[in-house]
This record gives sequence, C-alpha cells and structure tokens, in this order.
Amino acid sequence: MDIVMELANSKVMWLVASLVIGLVIFQSIKFIQLASRASEDVGMSKKEVRSAVKTGAIAAIGPSIAIAIVAISLIAFIGNPLTMIRIGVIGSAPIESLGASLAAEASGARLGGEGYDKAVFTAIVWVLCLGGMGWLLFTVLFTKSLGKIQDKVTQKGNGQKLMGIFATAAMIAAFGNLLSAEILKGLAPIIVIIAAAGTMIISMKLSDKYNLAWLREWALGFSIIISLCFGYFVI
Amino acid sequence: MYTQNVNEINADTTMKDEVDTKTFTMATFHEKSHFWGRLTIWSVIVLTVLLPAYLSFGLGYHPGWQIILSGLAAYAGVIAVVWALEPIMYFPMLGVSGTYISFLTGNISNMCLPSAAAAQSAVGAEPGTAKGEITATLSISAASLVNKLLLIPIIIGGAIIVANMPPQIEAVFPLVLPAIFGAVFAQFAMKKPIYGAIALIIGICVNLIALPIYLKSLTCIVLTVLICIQLERMKEKKLSKS
Repeated sequence: MDIVMELANSKVMWLVASLVIGLVIFQSIKFIQLASRASEDVGMSKKEVRSAVKTGAIAAIGPSIAIAIVAISLIAFIGNPLTMIRIGVIGSAPIESLGASLAAEASGARLGGEGYDKAVFTAIVWVLCLGGMGWLLFTVLFTKSLGKIQDKVTQKGNGQKLMGIFATAAMIAAFGNLLSAEILKGLAPIIVIIAAAGTMIISMKLSDKYNLAWLREWALGFSIIISLCFGYFVI
Repeated sequence: MYTQNVNEINADTTMKDEVDTKTFTMATFHEKSHFWGRLTIWSVIVLTVLLPAYLSFGLGYHPGWQIILSGLAAYAGVIAVVWALEPIMYFPMLGVSGTYISFLTGNISNMCLPSAAAAQSAVGAEPGTAKGEITATLSISAASLVNKLLLIPIIIGGAIIVANMPPQIEAVFPLVLPAIFGAVFAQFAMKKPIYGAIALIIGICVNLIALPIYLKSLTCIVLTVLICIQLERMKEKKLSKS
C-alpha cells in the first residue's frame, strides 16, 4: 500500500493534476471574458454581468465544500493527485470509487487491500481516465450539432417561445426528479427540503418586495446553510 | 517620434476594441465558445491519456490491455449511457457555452444548474433565451472557478481535515443535496406552480418504480416537457377563442 502511494503521489501525478486543474480554471476565466463581451448584444448591463458572476460564485460555495469533503474518502485509495484529476473534471466520488474497485477487481486485487500494487494502480488510472473521457468526447464532438439543432428550432415562428417552455419545464423536471429521490429517503431529508424551500421562498418574496438584489444573490447559499442547521438538530 | 508611434498604436488598438465589442454578437460568441470549449476539452483529453500511458510504458507498470479493457467494460456498463444522455438532456438548459463548461468541470445537477438558476433569477433572465444563456455562462464559469479554488486546499489538506472533523458535522454532509434540490425546485415552482406540481408528481412516481437512475431523470424530463407544452397550447387555444 505504501509503495502504491509512492507512485500515486509522485511528481508526475502532481504535474498532470496541476495542468488539468489549470486548464479547467483557464477555461472558466476565458468564458467569463467571452460572455461579458457578448453581454451588450443581449442587452445586459455591466451591473447584471457582475451580479450573474457573483451569484454563481456564492451558489457554488456550499456544494463545492460538500463535494470536496466526500472526495477526501478517495484519497486513501488512489492518492491526492488522481483524486484531484477525477473530481476536478467531470466525475463524482461515488462513481469514481466504483470505477476504482472495478479496475482493481479486474486485476484480481482488492482496492487498498490484497494484491494492490503499482500495476493495479496503473489499471485504475487507465479505467478512471478513459471512463471520464466519455462525457468529454461526446461534448467535444457533438455540442456543435446540438447548437445547430437549437438554432433551427428557435428560427421557426413560435420556436423561441417553445424553447423557453422547453428549457423551463426540463429544468423543473430535472430537479423534481432529484428532489423526489431525496423525499423518499426519510424524515431528515424531508425536513431539510422543507426548510430549504421555505428559506428560498421567503428570500425571493422579501427581495421582490424591497428590491434587494443582494438577497437574490445569496438566496441559494442561505437556503443551504439554514436548512442544514435544521438537519443538524434532526439527526 | 517614438512616443508618437506608441500613441498611434494605442489609438489603433482601442479603435479595434471598439469595433470588436460592437461586432461581438451572439453568433460570434457561439463561434468563440466552440473554439475555446473544444481546445480546452481536447487538451484535458490528451493529458488524461498521456498520464496512464506514461505509467504503463514510461515507468513500466503496464497491467496488460486485457485487464484495462475488462475493467473499463465493467465501468462503462454502469455509466456509458449517461455519456451521451446527459449532454443532450441538459443542453436546453445550459446552451452551447454552458455545456462546454459544465461537462468539463462536472457536478452539473448539484452545482452548475443551481448556480445558473440562481443567477437567472437574480438578473431576471429567462432560461432558453440569449440573455439566459449569457447569464448561465457567467454564473457557471464563476461556480467552476470557486469550485476549483476550494477543491485544491481541501484535497491537499484532506487527511488533516477529515481526522479533525466532529462526527456531528460529518453527518450533515449527506443532507447538502436535498438542501440544494429543495431550494432550486422551490425557486422554479414559485414562478410556475403548475409545472412544479406536474414535475413532482411524475418524479415521485418514477422514483417508486424500479428504473435505472439515468432513465428516471430522462423519463421525468420527457413527460414533464410534453405535458407542459400541451398545457401551454391549450391555454393559447382558450385565449384565441375568448
């Protein structure tokens, strides 16, 4: 296990992990630049641009900490750099630990246990890296076609309106489905959901009534924190 | 002479900038998004192939292709369907640029979409419009940036954090997901209560049936979208009659 970790936390691993995370950071900065330049064309003010960036950043704090904390469980088995690569780019801790166990099994070893050596670790790196690539390849190859389809739909007479209904309904449906799965899990999630939904509704009503832009930006962050406090007392 | 030259160059570039911002339309934005989105994602793809290749052949720890392929097949058996399904399913909500960012940075349902929804509500932009897309791009990029900046110290200092975490706090983390989903759902359901009710009813039904996870969300999205579009059509007919 110690010998495997020597490789898992070696300089090459760290180098590639830094490059990958560097690219993701570069991409997000590049797209903020591009979108700010296009903002005038869609009639957005400088203030709205700043507000969009700020809201996105605030909303990401809660989920990011949760994601990172869950990801820590992977470090013991696959080391820090590979965890960084697989969590920093699309993938999630449960899926990656599943992939790592499957790769170890295919090598006839147990993850972090019997027979876990450098060759097994290499097999894990292959499986996780190639596995995560599925989304990347599809996105890189087909996003342009998806964009063209969208353009065609919006160019039709009532296409723009249809697209709006489509996007809103799809978003509500995606979250309705995720929410339903949580509701069916038990009492603690239900209480957290009610608290979060309540906080969100109150924040939105207050910000509409008194025109509080900052409250709209913080609404999701507050909802997460306040509902987790409720959750803390339930469990 | 020299300073004059510099001034001229400056004047030149500012003029260019002005022309640029004027001609920077949504079409240019999409073109540039394709270019930068593809370039960054291709680079990550190349890096993540080079890494295992180096471990295998540079350092000589190659486990054999058969092991790699059978491991990959088992892994793909669980998630391969989602590789194509998720980018298509989320496209109407993310748009071109949002798709490039979200599918590189990951955490689409628990971070990217909630961030986009929160920002669209803060700015007052409708999903599916050009303004909605720019707002989503700005907020998802910012979210991705914050995510990486928080991830780096936590992963590096991970062991120490976990060892010192009080167990009561640790027990709260699984509740972060229901908190996010509840809040984002409420935000939408406030504006479109009927859509919300339909989505929740279908969601509960779908989750009570034993379906694979990826089919659950697809079924829920397709059914909800169809019913909502039908509802809007009926509303329009009523309006045109009266």
